[in-house]
Amino acid sequence: MQTTTTSAAPPDSERSIQARDLTRIYRVGSVSVTGIEGVNLSVPAGQMVVLKGESGSGKSTLLSLLAGLDRLTHGALTVAGRDLSAPSDTELTTFRRHAVGMVFQAFNLLPTLTVLENACLPALLAGANPDTAHTKASDLLSWLGLNDRLDHRPSQLSGGEMQRTAIARALINDPGIILADEPTGNLDSHNARKVIALLADLNREFDRTVVVATHSDLVDPFATMVLALQDGRVAS
Amino acid sequence: MTQSMQTILNGLRLFRWFTLRHLRRRLLRTLAVLVGIALGAAVFTSVRLAVQATLTAYSNSMAHITGTSDLSVVRPGGRVPDGLVVDLLRHPAVQSASPLLSAYVRPAHQETPFLLLGLDPVLDRNLRRWRLRDPQAGPSADWSALMTHPYTMVIGDGLAEHFGWQPGQATPLIHGQRTAEFRVIDILAADGVALVEGGRIAVCDIATFQEFTGLHGQADWIDLRLNGTASPESATEIAARLPPGIQLRSPTARSESGRGMIRAYQLSLTFLSFISLFVGMFLVYSLVALNAAARRRELAVMRASGASGNLLFALFVGEGAVIGLVGWLLALPISGLLVKHLLAAVSGTVSMLFVQVQVDGLTLDTWEVLLSFGVTVAVAMLAAVQPAREAMAVSPREAMAISTAASFRPALFRRLAIGGGFLLVLVYPVSQLPSPPSLSLSGYLAALLLFVGVALLAPLLLRHFGRLLKRRLQRLGGQPAALAADYLRSSGVQTAISIGALITAVALFTALVIMVHSFRTTTILWVEQSIAGDLYVRPKLAELNRFRDPLPPQVVAKLISVTDLVDLVPMRRLELDLKGHTHLFEAMDYADYTVRNRFIWLDGDPSRIAKAFQRGQGVVVSEVFANRTGLGVGDPYRIQIGDQQLDEPILGIFRDYRTRGGAVYYALTRYQERFDDVSWSGVQINVAADAENPAAVMDRIRTDLITCCGAALEMIDGRNLRRAIVQIFDETFAITTVLLLIALMVAAIGIATTLAVLVLQRRRQLNTLLAMGGSARQLRSMIFWEAGLIALVGQMAGLASGGVLSLLLIFVVNRQSFGWTFLYRVDWTTLLLAMPLIFAAALLAALPAVKLALDSAPAALLRGGTP
Ligand SMILES: Nc1ncnc2c1ncn2[C@@H]1O[C@H](COP(=O)(O)OP(=O)(O)OP(=O)(O)O)[C@@H](O)[C@H]1O
Ligand SMILES: [Mg+2]
Repeated sequence: MQTTTTSAAPPDSERSIQARDLTRIYRVGSVSVTGIEGVNLSVPAGQMVVLKGESGSGKSTLLSLLAGLDRLTHGALTVAGRDLSAPSDTELTTFRRHAVGMVFQAFNLLPTLTVLENACLPALLAGANPDTAHTKASDLLSWLGLNDRLDHRPSQLSGGEMQRTAIARALINDPGIILADEPTGNLDSHNARKVIALLADLNREFDRTVVVATHSDLVDPFATMVLALQDGRVAS
Repeated sequence: MTQSMQTILNGLRLFRWFTLRHLRRRLLRTLAVLVGIALGAAVFTSVRLAVQATLTAYSNSMAHITGTSDLSVVRPGGRVPDGLVVDLLRHPAVQSASPLLSAYVRPAHQETPFLLLGLDPVLDRNLRRWRLRDPQAGPSADWSALMTHPYTMVIGDGLAEHFGWQPGQATPLIHGQRTAEFRVIDILAADGVALVEGGRIAVCDIATFQEFTGLHGQADWIDLRLNGTASPESATEIAARLPPGIQLRSPTARSESGRGMIRAYQLSLTFLSFISLFVGMFLVYSLVALNAAARRRELAVMRASGASGNLLFALFVGEGAVIGLVGWLLALPISGLLVKHLLAAVSGTVSMLFVQVQVDGLTLDTWEVLLSFGVTVAVAMLAAVQPAREAMAVSPREAMAISTAASFRPALFRRLAIGGGFLLVLVYPVSQLPSPPSLSLSGYLAALLLFVGVALLAPLLLRHFGRLLKRRLQRLGGQPAALAADYLRSSGVQTAISIGALITAVALFTALVIMVHSFRTTTILWVEQSIAGDLYVRPKLAELNRFRDPLPPQVVAKLISVTDLVDLVPMRRLELDLKGHTHLFEAMDYADYTVRNRFIWLDGDPSRIAKAFQRGQGVVVSEVFANRTGLGVGDPYRIQIGDQQLDEPILGIFRDYRTRGGAVYYALTRYQERFDDVSWSGVQINVAADAENPAAVMDRIRTDLITCCGAALEMIDGRNLRRAIVQIFDETFAITTVLLLIALMVAAIGIATTLAVLVLQRRRQLNTLLAMGGSARQLRSMIFWEAGLIALVGQMAGLASGGVLSLLLIFVVNRQSFGWTFLYRVDWTTLLLAMPLIFAAALLAALPAVKLALDSAPAALLRGGTP
């Protein structure tokens, strides 16, 4: 990443996470299903957190709360200095625009947008000037090795390329925290390594806080913090 | 640039990236929907434009004749002495006064009649605008020649063009029993009076007119213009000084009732044409709903990337707006083609049923264009609102899922059904609400409630139907049929809403078939009973000149001399006005009339009516008159005829479909005694039942009449008259048929897109089916079963709501709009023949879907992705 693409790391408060008694219970008809329950968590700025746990242990649930994609049932949560205990719709939308960047297992690029446009999307949604957003997105994409792919559609990319585009999209608004849910789940081992290396770079070189939920142990060497979940609770 | 400006610009950019590109990618689907909405919009636009042009032409004609006059002096049921002008001009409040005569005449050797105005060129200059086209053309080109040279006229350019007449040309004109040679002295500039009837008009001096028509010393009416200083009381003062029987009236009163009738017709056509647009609305809904459902994950990603719910809402409503906008643009050329045909049909119908109108051309009314644009775009946006709300409710959390299942929400079905049921319950009470005169707003509102209610109920209906039929279908059509029933049962609101399109079209079809058939059956019955004569004799152009001029005395004398051979049923007809309701007053002999003809009574005691009527102790009125005036049996009918008042109770109400504005019948002998008027407006001639050779008798009478006074008469064979009326009827409903066909076409497009979309939505599922060993035949048969079931449910619900709609149309809308009702007759033959055809069309519409389903190999499973 060049100096033009990402400025110096945001202040510590925008890169830290605090959770107390964090609980998310799903209601399916009359049945309650526990997503996570009583999770306490304190992540200082600049950590590389690995979320581990068996399928159904609550990794995605926790990440969706941290990313402001979902609301907690009870407890207290502060992410990037913003209180997410009882946010309004508008607060959540603003939070998603500026506070965090999200990377998904299924890449989730919009098929009608080009690589460059996908990367620009959060900036435009946040009301940025399109020219500025374009410049920034193409810088990011060339840092990610995609500079000859800017005008391609997602359907014309390989899985690794799609995931790197998704990383560009997560970075475009300069968030202090990057969240990734199984980012390597749909990738071969070569591409998986590449994506993990990128996330590690973001953490080490650019001081971003990164939280990765994964089954694979590729991340382990880079982790500064490991959080194991079991049946919705922190295991150790 | 401000931040909010930037937000809007970015929103537009996203609209292009996200919405427009997606529409372009699914071009065929989008085009099908666009064609549907374009057809609907085209019908709506062209019908409105055609009726509007007719209404404008009529209003303009009337306004140009009215000129700048403030008041008119008239004599109900007769003409005004023109000498009155002198007295009127003496009144201090009167600035100018001008007498006017008008009649339809025709050239001796041509069939086209035109309007001839007789006026005093000097007196008239202050009231009406008319001037010669080119005052420098020559010495004769001077309007004062109209007065100095008898039998001269100036003509409008429409007339000059139609007959190829030039200044200086002489031509014989026929009016009533007279023919006289007129010389054209110049052509009028296209301005004022010259614009009446699209320029097919001629103006002559009133003295010439009087001599030509034999109306010495008379005028149809006298127009007045008051001084600027005249007080409001001056009108009352002038009225008080008028001789008995002569009244003052607003000059616009003449055109008001005509305009009212055209407006009622306009509203009924607007409603019928709006249904095509309404059917198109279902298409827009299904497209936008599909896009919203199929792009659920994209929506979640947008939300996760920081898009607000409002933005997503705006994107989808915007999608509706773009479809509406493009559909409207596509509608413009289609409207251009349609409107020409519609214009002729509409103005023809208006002339036949309501008021004489000559449409000179189409004026592109800005308001009408804006209206059609607004309605089309609004309908499309409205259709997109529900899918857009679904879109904004998508949780960003769904972006985390590996694959999103299409959501299926029974609660929504129930909520829709409850809303639909509520609307249906309202249909009857709303239809009974009072409505402004001639505009059946309550009827149309009830019909709309019916459509929306049934469409909302459709989803629940479909589910129950699927559950109900599953077993039976399994036995009937094997696994494919059961799968089809299963799928329809559990498929989303989208299928059901597309069925709504079919329901609406079938309902419209059913209702119109029933209405037209009922109308036609009743008309034929009425024609056979009430127009049962052998020969009808009346003055030339009597219909156009509204029977104002009686039959010449020598005709009456001739006819009376042959009463040993034939029975005569004479009548005297006047055009009267009761509180703004123009109607025909007809004096006739009940006993003579009922030898051949029969009244079809709707109210009153027939046995009592005959006696009281013959004694002149009451009148009978047509249904149209009763409904328009709100008068019923027992109410008094009070009217001024000449200088006398007629005040008799209404004895009975009869069916009548011929007359414009209704008819009132009164005993002929009593009329003749009381009003000292023994003239006949027309006569029905019947060969006596015991005549040996009826055909020979008729021939003799006819020959006699032609040799004595043929030029003055119109003789119409009873059989031809009856046939002509039915033909007029059929022509009138030709427009309805066009509207109907287009609505059905739009519905067919709806079925085709729905099925195609259902296949696309389930590609994965269908491919799994193939991969698990299903055969192409089974797949094909499943899709046909689906089409069949959709068509079946659509037709059943459509038939049911069409039945209700037909009741609304016949007993509420027609009664309120036009004043008539008909015997309720269901045309089972047409309905039973059409239903299998519509069913077959629905199966045919499944072909593209079948092709799509078989196009994709099972291997496509591996690629995944949204359809
Ligand atoms: N939307 C939902 N509605 C109901 N229950 C849910 C929902 N999402 C998750 N759950 C339940 O919450 C629990 C935690 O699920 P979660 O997806 O967080 O697990 P995970 O650790 O991410 O699993 P995996 O490794 O398979 O992705 C599970 O029991 C799951 O069934
Ligand atoms: Mg998970």
